[in-house]
Order: sequence, then structure tokens, then C-alpha cells
Amino acid sequence: MVKIRLKRMGAHKKPFYRIVAADARAPRDGKFIEEVGYYNPMTEPADVKIDEEKAQKWLANGAQPTDTVKRLFKNAGIL
Amino acid sequence: MNIDEITKASLLYDFYGQLLSRRQRECMELYYEENLSLSEIADEFGISRQGVSDALKNAVRALNDYERKLGLVNKLQKTNQAIAEIDSIIDQVVGSMTDKYADYGTDTAIGNRDSDAVVDKLKRVKDIIDNLED
Repeated sequence: MVKIRLKRMGAHKKPFYRIVAADARAPRDGKFIEEVGYYNPMTEPADVKIDEEKAQKWLANGAQPTDTVKRLFKNAGIL
Repeated sequence: MNIDEITKASLLYDFYGQLLSRRQRECMELYYEENLSLSEIADEFGISRQGVSDALKNAVRALNDYERKLGLVNKLQKTNQAIAEIDSIIDQVVGSMTDKYADYGTDTAIGNRDSDAVVDKLKRVKDIIDNLED
């Protein structure tokens, strides 16, 4: 199963998150299938970018967003 | 769990994470940095979902306690804000000086030379700020 998760990138003390589609069984090896967007909380206001086309494609293919990603999608009007 | 919560926990973890137990650190990383669910983390470590939940709760409580006592995250945020302000003020000053003296010929007016020296110094301050921000 494919999941849509947040994945923390960014340096120490500078969190930055990618929204990625990744295989549910291999969440930790750093690999993901596709980047769907990103979230940068360190800017004022926070910078969110979601590729709606990719997001819709993964959702249509049955990818499961985590609760947090679901919330981001809702805020962006995707869900 | 909303994103601000994640960001806050991640930042606290960056500062004080080394003070947590190994199991707490592992759970924090999977939950807040890899966005795994409690049950996924439980599977990963072969412990109960409740065990993961307890580890996270205790970890976050400890991190908040450290922050309350030491205030390092708060201090970083204030420092970053101050630096950004200083940076933008320098930009304004450099901009207005460059405009003001643009009409003079090269190095003819004393004021022009003075402003060049000031602009050079301000650029050095900006370099220092850039290094701080990295």
C-alpha cells in the first residue's frame, strides 16, 4: 500500500517537511516514490505547496494520507 | 495531530532530544519526523500501541519541561526574528545610500567615498548574518 506522509528534511533546528508518496512497508529507508508537495514552517507565514494533480492522482490510486497530510490537503481544498 | 504540533515537537527534539531515553528518541523520530502512526511504530518495535503512546507522552512532557526551564527554542526564535529585522534594515540603508549617491560621478565627492565605505561595512555585516543563518 502507498501512503502519503510528511517527511522531515531540513537541517538541525530548521525543520522542513516534504509531503511524499511512499510505500507503507518501507517508510524509513529515505526512499519515496514521489514528492507531492512541501511545508516550510520556518517562514512567516508558513509556506505550503501542494501539487494538486499529483495529490489527486495518488488519492485516486488508493494511497492513504496520514491524518496530518489529510489536514493539509483539506486546508488546500484538495480533500 | 496538526502540523504546528509536529513542528514544535521536532524543534524541541532538536534541542533536547539527546536528553531522552533511546526508546523515546526512536519513537519521537518515527512519529514526528517520519509521520508514522502509533500502530506502525508499535509494529516496528514489537511493543504495544499503548507503549508507544506512553513513550511519546513522556518524551513530549520532558521536552516541554526542559524548554520551560531553559527556553532555548524561544530564544532561537527571538534571535532569528531580530536577525531578520536587522537584515532588512541594512538592505533599506544600503538601498537608500546607493540611490542617493548614484548621481554623483565616481569618487568625486567626499560623500560618495564615505558612503562606499559604509556600504562595504554593511555588506560585511550582511555576510556575518548570512553565516549565522546557515
